[in-house]
Amino acid sequence: MHDELDPKEFEDTARAVIETCANAGDTATRGRLLAEAGLLGVMAPEAVGGMDLPIRFGVPIVSAAGAGLLAFPLIESILLARHLALVDPDLAGAIAAGQTIATIAWTGDAGAGTVGGAPMGAGAAQVLVFLADGGAGLVQPGAGVAVRPGGALDIDAPDCALDLSGANPRPVLDARAVAALRADAAILRAGFIMGSAAQCLTLAAGYAQERVQFGKPLSAYQVLRHRLSRDALAVETLRAGLTRALSEPAEGVAMAREAVWLSAARIGPEVAESAIQIFGGMGFTWEVPLHRHLRQMHTQAANGAAMAGLDALAADLFAATDNEWYGDLANAG
Amino acid sequence: MNPHPARQASPVPAAGSPAARTRAWLADNLTDRLRTDRAHDTPATLSELIGFEKALHEAGFAGITWPKAYGGHGLGLREHLEINREIGRAPVPNSVNSIGKELAGPIILAVGNDRQKESFLPAILTMKHIWCQGFSEPGAGSDLAALRTRAQRSQDGWRINGQKIWTSGASKSQRCLLLARTGTADERHKGLVLFAVPMDLPGIDVREITSIDGQRSFCEVFFNDVIVSDADMLGAPDEGWAAATRVLSIERATNRMYRSWRFQSELEHLIAACRTDARARSIMQPYARQLAQVRIEVEILKGLVETLVERLIAGEEIGPNGSFPKLYWSEAHQRFARIGLEIVAQFPPGVDGPLPDLRARMQDIYLSSRAETIYAGTTEIQLDIIAKRILNLKRAA
Repeated sequence: MHDELDPKEFEDTARAVIETCANAGDTATRGRLLAEAGLLGVMAPEAVGGMDLPIRFGVPIVSAAGAGLLAFPLIESILLARHLALVDPDLAGAIAAGQTIATIAWTGDAGAGTVGGAPMGAGAAQVLVFLADGGAGLVQPGAGVAVRPGGALDIDAPDCALDLSGANPRPVLDARAVAALRADAAILRAGFIMGSAAQCLTLAAGYAQERVQFGKPLSAYQVLRHRLSRDALAVETLRAGLTRALSEPAEGVAMAREAVWLSAARIGPEVAESAIQIFGGMGFTWEVPLHRHLRQMHTQAANGAAMAGLDALAADLFAATDNEWYGDLANAG
Repeated sequence: MNPHPARQASPVPAAGSPAARTRAWLADNLTDRLRTDRAHDTPATLSELIGFEKALHEAGFAGITWPKAYGGHGLGLREHLEINREIGRAPVPNSVNSIGKELAGPIILAVGNDRQKESFLPAILTMKHIWCQGFSEPGAGSDLAALRTRAQRSQDGWRINGQKIWTSGASKSQRCLLLARTGTADERHKGLVLFAVPMDLPGIDVREITSIDGQRSFCEVFFNDVIVSDADMLGAPDEGWAAATRVLSIERATNRMYRSWRFQSELEHLIAACRTDARARSIMQPYARQLAQVRIEVEILKGLVETLVERLIAGEEIGPNGSFPKLYWSEAHQRFARIGLEIVAQFPPGVDGPLPDLRARMQDIYLSSRAETIYAGTTEIQLDIIAKRILNLKRAA
């Protein structure tokens, strides 16, 4: 299925549209541009105007968004257009068509009265919030829902916090559907971070070959060549990890996806830090966009609760093994 | 907390598949004597290891991709990968003939003549001939092209003079894959020639070197007026080495393909053994995040290996990309080894059950892993390769 389509072409299309978006004046215009190219509904069913493609087509799109510092809640839109399609097809269709701007408040649950980590929540008409029972519901900023700046690092898709004291979220997803949405989110985030990190490497490698000090380009110095090689290894591990996770490995696709997401959350920001070091004094100014990459990757790691994921993985690891050579040892404990 | 997807167990291999057959065979044939996760009063002997490897081949689990005409099983890289996953999951001893199986064999397949293929290849798989690798020299380690061992034309073939070092397994080998030069050292990559040298020729002197883990596997090998026949030259001068470097770039990506899965099983052994004892478990607990990180790195390593295998199957050139898994594995494995050592070093006196075996294994892995960032191209050489051949970073304005 979908053999005639190439995910790479989606990346090329996305790169071009995202470049155009960089010059678009507002979120609504960017939404229309993305929707016209079919990018928001890439994974949504055809019934709501989507393309009904598997996640391996979504990853190159968000990867281009990470590289291009897109000011739009793209991951959230792709997820909502897909996961709301069965329960609220009208809204899913409006999101896929770029008519309704929607986002997800990734942190906290509505039961506590405040949720956060909602990229571009300031302009969103609909916000998905998580509920104490593991499900999720929708709220509309405005009546009973106060929106304020959230405080995460990202400045291209600034996050918001929402005070829900006067609102009852409309339940739309049960716990099972939320788990599926979060699993998709993890792999999309990994793709986003990979695109962002790869762009940092490209910028750093380019700068190192232009900047001359002591009569030689920076790229002539072994210490910097090795630094760039390590950054290339980091990007390659993410690229290969994504390729493997998206190829549905017989050995366990969930573990493959979890690993590339948690790996991206850790090493993506490190690639940006390294690029800043190579740019020297320019690296920590707003003249070069490396700080924006660093900010957006850290924000993705936080919104995906990477450290909690690492703890959950550790708990899993300590609980059981399916390797029969060590099963008897484990059971003895 | 969300239900954690990683908890799903990996599926049991389909009945009759290469993986299922390998798993069943190892369960029957990998005896306690041979298991590398057991401390042994007397380690398995060379003849025991040779017997095991011979049986492994006869069962279909070595020489997987080699042509049937030369004793192989004529299967593809995908089956090779599938079988090696299973070999990695189990505590199987490392091959005593990995140079034969993973270096000399593929080079002979690429550059050897028919007679050489018929005579050398089956003997590698049946373990009649163990091979060693005579590349590095005291003055030519990372800078292999600085090698000085001379091969001069003589009436009887070639006269070899020189010294090799870090020659793993030379004292138990029947053949040496020898790299020598026909001209002088300033010719660098020109005039290099490969030989399959019988190790019992007059003029060869082997001295063992004790390595960090207490093993006496490394050797120095001296060649004093050793006469090697033309029949044992692999390819013509220059031609043989050029072909061999192509083979080496693929081998760097594909050799010991089981490494990711062995790495995972070492981690599983550490955790399972510590879980049997409350004291060991509490020692391990503060390392939870670090061990989860190791588990992630194992999975990422599988990605690096499997995507390269898929590219090879698709007929693509992988060129310098083999540097990525070598570099990543060696450093990730060292990080794990250090964690493992730290944990077992805190065991109180008198621990029993599976813990003494674990302690011995983790100590051994820690010490032997120090070599992993040095052999087969040091970390620094891999970083140079990536900078030069993948990033194409320029050296001058």
